[in-house]
Amino acid sequence: MNKNLLKIDYEKFQLSNGLDVILYQDLSLPTISINIWYKVGSANEKPGKTGFAHLFEHMMFQGSQNIPKEGHFKYIQEAGGSLNGSTSIDRTNYYETVPSNYLELILWLESDRMGFLLPSLTQEKLDNQKEVVMNERRQRYDNQPYGLAWEKIFSNLFTSDHPYSWPTIGWMDDIANFELDDVKNFFSTYYSPGNATLVLGGNFKKDNAKQLIEKYFGTIKNGSQIPQLYIPEQNLNETKKIIHPDNVQLQRIYLAWHSEKMFGVNDAALDILSDILAATKNSRLQKKLLFDNQIAQDVSAFQYSAKLHGLFIIVSTAKPGMQVEELKKNIFYEIDNLIKNGITDEELLRSKNSIKSSYIYSLQKIDNIVDHINHYNFYLNEPDSFIFDIERYEKVTAEDVMEAAKNYLTNHYVELQIIPKN
Amino acid sequence: MINRTLPPKSSGTVSFEIPQAKIITLSNGIEVYFVKKDKLPIVYTYTLSFSGSKFDPADKKGLSFLTSLLIDEGAGEFDALQLNNELEKLGIIFGIDVDHDVFSFSILSLKEHYHRAIELLSKIIFEPRFEQKDFEREKKKVLDKITQLKDEPGYIASSAFYKRIFLNAEYSSPEIGYEEMVQNFSNDDVKFFYSKLFQESLSKIIVVGNIEETELTDLYEKYFSKWNGKNAGLNQTIQINRDRTKFYYVHKKEAAQSEIRIGHISKGRNADDFYASRIMNTILGGQFSSRINLNLREKKGFTYGAGSSFNYFQQCGFFEVSTAVNIKNTGEAISEILKELDGIKKNISQEEIDFAKSYLIKQFPSRFETYVQTAKNFVPLIIHLLPVDYYNSYTDKLKNVTNEEVLNAAKENIFTDQLAVVIVGDKKEILPQLKTISDDVIELDIYGHRI
Repeated sequence: MNKNLLKIDYEKFQLSNGLDVILYQDLSLPTISINIWYKVGSANEKPGKTGFAHLFEHMMFQGSQNIPKEGHFKYIQEAGGSLNGSTSIDRTNYYETVPSNYLELILWLESDRMGFLLPSLTQEKLDNQKEVVMNERRQRYDNQPYGLAWEKIFSNLFTSDHPYSWPTIGWMDDIANFELDDVKNFFSTYYSPGNATLVLGGNFKKDNAKQLIEKYFGTIKNGSQIPQLYIPEQNLNETKKIIHPDNVQLQRIYLAWHSEKMFGVNDAALDILSDILAATKNSRLQKKLLFDNQIAQDVSAFQYSAKLHGLFIIVSTAKPGMQVEELKKNIFYEIDNLIKNGITDEELLRSKNSIKSSYIYSLQKIDNIVDHINHYNFYLNEPDSFIFDIERYEKVTAEDVMEAAKNYLTNHYVELQIIPKN
Repeated sequence: MINRTLPPKSSGTVSFEIPQAKIITLSNGIEVYFVKKDKLPIVYTYTLSFSGSKFDPADKKGLSFLTSLLIDEGAGEFDALQLNNELEKLGIIFGIDVDHDVFSFSILSLKEHYHRAIELLSKIIFEPRFEQKDFEREKKKVLDKITQLKDEPGYIASSAFYKRIFLNAEYSSPEIGYEEMVQNFSNDDVKFFYSKLFQESLSKIIVVGNIEETELTDLYEKYFSKWNGKNAGLNQTIQINRDRTKFYYVHKKEAAQSEIRIGHISKGRNADDFYASRIMNTILGGQFSSRINLNLREKKGFTYGAGSSFNYFQQCGFFEVSTAVNIKNTGEAISEILKELDGIKKNISQEEIDFAKSYLIKQFPSRFETYVQTAKNFVPLIIHLLPVDYYNSYTDKLKNVTNEEVLNAAKENIFTDQLAVVIVGDKKEILPQLKTISDDVIELDIYGHRI
């Protein structure tokens, strides 16, 4: 595989108001993609007022001073583009991909809501989107089998004063009680040019793009200092077991450990560990639980890493009539076995090859590429990190994987069982 | 100071060349649709055969689905785990899927592993082992999956809705089948499906990627010349029977929302007014800024999202409005949807039509962005017997639709007095609301059968 494919040729600069801009040109495309990361996620919220960052993923589409309600969607769709946003615990992003002759339109739209959202943010719009968000919460979590698992894990693994302890969508009571003034203050604090990075990718002329970005964003005033996060030390002093009866047919078990933060020392080894444990039919746990013993309907494992912390999670659904305790016993047997006896070269190679291929596959879409550039810029302060990222997986040895398992998976953990109500 | 009050105009036009597929005919008659795309070292392959779940025998619904789970559980010299390991270790993304019309295999591979990927695919297709122990395990997996689906309100709503609109015709049963039928399957049933239905059906292959035509031809001649199936599926159109509008519900205790499906069976993909219907549905419920979504979400706040679509199987189409709403607004949400279905038959503005045409025409190039997307665009052409150069005239056909044709598409394809309205929710909460709309509300089980 030729690694030059993964070399990103970019130009980075900052406007006088603090907005970081990264240009990535690809003249072979008929499109351009803009991707703005605001360095605000649910971690910047306060207990009792959770869900604000995600709420803005809605309010930012409700129009701004020069754009009518629903206008953002309408202009982009009429241009044949696609658009959306997403919220994580660390950051929020907003993005559009349009035919390349609409560069000025997307800059106009994004700059208007960065600089001039508040004049048009009314009580009526807030009330409407509160209802929409409550329905989103019902549709995606409350009315889904096992839908409340994630918030139960996070709120038990982290102490209630830790910024990762609540769900990104927010608690239902908090959403119902959003106040207009709080919402406006949250926006003023976090949605300023100095707290954002704009990545433009695709087919554009660099000089023209620079001029237009300065024209639309240069006059937006920067905000004040971003408040520091309060991050209490996290140590799980005992293993916690939570049993949650729900409207489900089959028992499911979740095991969650504190692990390593994004790009931390063992982050890549933990990713590979999760592959070896459960990613494929030949993985340890799929083979043991699904194939040999046939006691589980599914099993998965993953390393979820973010700016402050990481979690390593194993999830498995029991076959009818099977107790999750039996699954747990088998899972720990396999973890112990891996720590004692290590992994094979073939297991390591299988995981590395699949990670490498998926990087190449991800280069098919310009909106993926620009989002990745923002991702690297945010976590590593270096947009061109595709090769660095792949190489940190290439460097992982069998010993590293064993060590990672030993260092994290022998610690206290949160065990969540979701069991049928009746 | 810049003037921010007006949207900037577009700068010039963007040229886009629609990817052209060439059909390569193998010596056994199989057609390979080939699009050369060489930006990345990737090749994507989609192989279909006309042996989807509608070919399941009447008392063996779910047989094609189970066959699809078993066909890659061991082939040739490899047992189930060895075979998967061969694919996994090369970073190949391999998938098998069954829908009502076709049975399909997809492979996303780096160019350097493509030959091996096709060799393994040919083993899966021509030398499956179908061992008894694999059969037992996968059959149990299907039965347990059916059990799990009882928890999914969205799935229950859709499958009950399909049962009501298709009644006993093709497309009325879920691909995964029914518990009581799957329980009785034997490994011989699977072998029967494989040899009589799968192997005897016609196959078509789509390849998009970084590979030369001669290399591709040699590869498929080598590995696919054994496929001699000729059965191209049932092409006759299903008789369209629509009942008068009826309201149904499936009880789901303590549901946190109500899932709603509203619609009916409709004309097939090759009807004359396909483009007019597409434009009309874009306005009605086909995207975010549609009448239904703006009303139910942005005006009323009843839902996270609501939409409508015309969907096309090989032998007929269906029209569906789909949403999940707050329990206390269930009745009102249904009334609003019915109002929108009435409304679109009365009046559609010039502005709406211009918007919909612009949206559909200008987003067309983005439908060819990835290797997978490009390949998937050719699937409907194969299923509906449309020419390989079909997309060359696609945007012109949209442009040429008249306003009158758009309005007629609503009048002639949406039947407000012949709808199936299906709700999944807690009956204690939703029944009183439904009774204010209709005094004839029918309870269904989770499969859509009347109780």
